[in-house]
Amino acid sequence: MSADFTAQSTPPPVVQVRDMDFSYGASKALFDINLKVQYHRVTALIGPSGCGKSTLLRCINRMNDRVLSARVTKGEVLVKGKNIYDADVDLTQLRKQVGMVFQKSNPFPKSIYENVAYGLRIHGEKNKSVLDEAVERSLTHAALWEELKDRLHANALALSGGQQQRLCIARAIATVPDVLLMDEPCSALDPISTLKIEELMHQLAKEFTVVIVTHNMQQAVRVSDYTAFLHLGKLVEFAPTEELFTNPREKLTEAYLRGTFS
Amino acid sequence: MNSLPTPSRPPLRSVLLRSRKHTILGFDPQKLIKYFFGSNASVAIIVLVLIMVFLLREGIDFLPTYQRELQTYRRAGLEFCDIIDQPLQKNQTLSSSLRQALSASLETLSKTARDRRDAAFLLKRQVEDKSARPRESLAQALEKAPQDPGQIDVLRRELGAATAAAVKAVDYPELFTQAEREQLEREFAALTPEVTDLPPMLQTLVEDFNVKDREAKTKFADLVTAQEEFEEAAEPLQEVLDELKAKALETKEKAVEFEVLETNRQRLLEAAATESDPKEKASLTKEAEESVAETVNLEESIKEITGRTAELREQVEKYAVVIEKAAADLPKDAGTGAARKLVNDVREGIPVHAREMRAAAAKLEDWHWDKPVSIFSVMGAFFFGTQWITNSSWQDFFGFVPLLTGSLVIAAIAILIATPVSVVAAIYTNQFASEREKELIKPVIEFIQAIPSVVLGFIGISLVGNLIKDVSEWSWLQWVPGFPIQERLNMFNAGCLLAFMAVPTMFSLSEDALNNVPRAYIDASDALGATKLQTVFRVIVPAGISGILSAILLGLGRVVGETMVVLLVAGNRIAIPDFSAGPGVIFQPAHTLTGIIAQELGEVSRGSSHWQALFMVGIVLFAISLLVNWCARAVARRFEPHKA
Ligand SMILES: Nc1ncnc2c1ncn2[C@@H]1O[C@H](COP(=O)(O)OP(=O)(O)OP(=O)(O)O)[C@@H](O)[C@H]1O
Ligand SMILES: [Mg+2]
Repeated sequence: MSADFTAQSTPPPVVQVRDMDFSYGASKALFDINLKVQYHRVTALIGPSGCGKSTLLRCINRMNDRVLSARVTKGEVLVKGKNIYDADVDLTQLRKQVGMVFQKSNPFPKSIYENVAYGLRIHGEKNKSVLDEAVERSLTHAALWEELKDRLHANALALSGGQQQRLCIARAIATVPDVLLMDEPCSALDPISTLKIEELMHQLAKEFTVVIVTHNMQQAVRVSDYTAFLHLGKLVEFAPTEELFTNPREKLTEAYLRGTFS
Repeated sequence: MNSLPTPSRPPLRSVLLRSRKHTILGFDPQKLIKYFFGSNASVAIIVLVLIMVFLLREGIDFLPTYQRELQTYRRAGLEFCDIIDQPLQKNQTLSSSLRQALSASLETLSKTARDRRDAAFLLKRQVEDKSARPRESLAQALEKAPQDPGQIDVLRRELGAATAAAVKAVDYPELFTQAEREQLEREFAALTPEVTDLPPMLQTLVEDFNVKDREAKTKFADLVTAQEEFEEAAEPLQEVLDELKAKALETKEKAVEFEVLETNRQRLLEAAATESDPKEKASLTKEAEESVAETVNLEESIKEITGRTAELREQVEKYAVVIEKAAADLPKDAGTGAARKLVNDVREGIPVHAREMRAAAAKLEDWHWDKPVSIFSVMGAFFFGTQWITNSSWQDFFGFVPLLTGSLVIAAIAILIATPVSVVAAIYTNQFASEREKELIKPVIEFIQAIPSVVLGFIGISLVGNLIKDVSEWSWLQWVPGFPIQERLNMFNAGCLLAFMAVPTMFSLSEDALNNVPRAYIDASDALGATKLQTVFRVIVPAGISGILSAILLGLGRVVGETMVVLLVAGNRIAIPDFSAGPGVIFQPAHTLTGIIAQELGEVSRGSSHWQALFMVGIVLFAISLLVNWCARAVARRFEPHKA
């Protein structure tokens, strides 16, 4: 996993955003972003609506490519030391390494088993026992195995909202990515389901590196090790979560955290 | 919540019951709008119900009418004759096969001679046509009473020049040697109005052919006699049968006339009974009395027919024996492979035919003229009847199967062609096409809908038909079943055009179905690293499959109901296609449910059994359309997981 690991005091980051500008056509959405995401840590992105959190997150697995006019206009995004915007990057492989969970749960209208196995199947895995094993492992990680092991072939759309979101997490981790991106994964869920996913997050961090966008500051405090605060497309402050919440360096951050934000 | 101070609000009751101030003619405008929309929806439903009622009212009487007709058919003895006559039709097919085999065999010897003869005659005609004008003038001049030798001379020279030119201008086929060619030229050049005999060369060619033909006929003498025997075998039987048929027909006509007059009389009497004016009443009664036909004693006349059962059976038996002998006499060898195959088919077909004839003869005994025709057998005769025969001097049959098969086969062809085309086009347009391509493809495909179907019918007749026929004659395509095709207008042709007509519907609806696949599925698949193709075939198409299926079904509904194209292009042969031809069956002509209504409804007299039968067809068509639409909806509901 840590192929680029070199004997330094701080291990190299798994994701590193360097001096990145990003724009949607003529309108610039991100300005000069610098961000390091460490292995096996949870990094939270917070900030007011429209500040560019999702955009930044989507830069890490190039989901922005689909927007025709969207471009990284400056700087680079390194995943495990490799600039993912280089011409020779294989998107399929990149997305195998960088998984994503969306705000609204979006399981396919297929069986639970097929949902989890989908990622492996599209990467060419045909061996039934490998698939079975991966499905069990991923569902276990997502704390779903016990609940669902008897109805793996039921339609995924029959699950509850919280189960569906955890299924999406299982689906994303089935291909064993290094990084898991989550864009407000709990915003459409009830408090209990939210709690379950937050608990999950700690477990996930043992195996994966998580980057999560959240609007809920308590959630950021509860789940993350590092927090980045964005405002109007700029990264205002990036620090260990505790530090940022108890002792923000920037005035803007403080104002935002207090809710006295204009 | 409870701690919040509640602002002062009007009491609930008054909010709910507050009356509105504006009214139009005393009505609440909100309600008026509601009624307006509601009534429009109900108009649609009412019209639909009215259509159904109307169809049923016209069509439902068909069953009793047809029952009466079939009753007469039986009582007058037509059915009796048909017991033998129907299987006897097979004689025609077998004997035409034999005739084909024979001529193919003879040709092996006489073909060149015949071709040479025909070619020479053709050349002569061409030369004469080319010099027709001077020849005509000369002939006229020669006929004039006082002949004008000077003018005749001039005309003769003109004719000579024209003929010489024509002789040079025509193409001489390879069949003739150089010497023969020169001789022909010489003889043609000598053609003048006075010459009435054939040119000597032509005479020889005719003689050559006759010699060859005789030679061929001696060589295949067995086949010739077998064929003649077979053809003659049916004659005595046919004679007896024809007598019986004539008698039966006479009885039937009388019975029908009687029935017409009788119903007329009943109607007049009824009118008279209700008429109050005594003068009118008297005249009606008088009229009724006049409308009396001689009663037909069906029992008497049927005895004349059934009385000859023994004779008929005897004839059938004789016929069977003779044809079986003919089958045994059929030579093993014939001139060509094709001929041998035909002869073999006939040899195998004859015993079967003989057996059928004997079975039919045995059935004659069980037949009773006064057995009632039940309403169920009438339904069977309609829904499972294999013959649709109208305006017949013998008997009309309204059997639905030939039309249904035609419609179904054509619809199947159309759907098989249109489905891949439209679904693939929809996938491409929805998922792969650039915006500019989309802007081109969608309107173009949707424009197809605007083409009047009669125009497509034109295209089918003039273009597609010829195209299919030409292609079917390509030698390297002869492995395709049914090639080379006989008829330009056939089910395949109609199917192609209907497919073309169904594509816009199926394309647009499939495209909508793909469009309705939630964006989130595509996001998820993309984020897992799927390629575009993987996303399309593993996520989008499966998720849109219900919509695609119902698009196909709605396309089917459109195809089944389409009239103009099938009427013009399907070939309109009212017979069940010969499925023994295998997949090549699609190149046969057929008639359809819609086509028959369009073609015949304008020509039949209102209220006749034929008219009612067409309405029955309409009812069934309506039912099929409803069923197809219902299936489309059911499918759409059945596989709609993302709406669950
Ligand atoms: N597809 C797009 N095309 C053009 N502009 C976009 C697109 N997506 C986002 N933007 C713009 O980029 C900016 C950042 O949007 P983004 O979605 O990243 O914000 P966000 O921080 O995730 O907001 P929220 O908290 O509401 O999700 C916004 O001004 C938005 O209008
Ligand atoms: Mg967002």
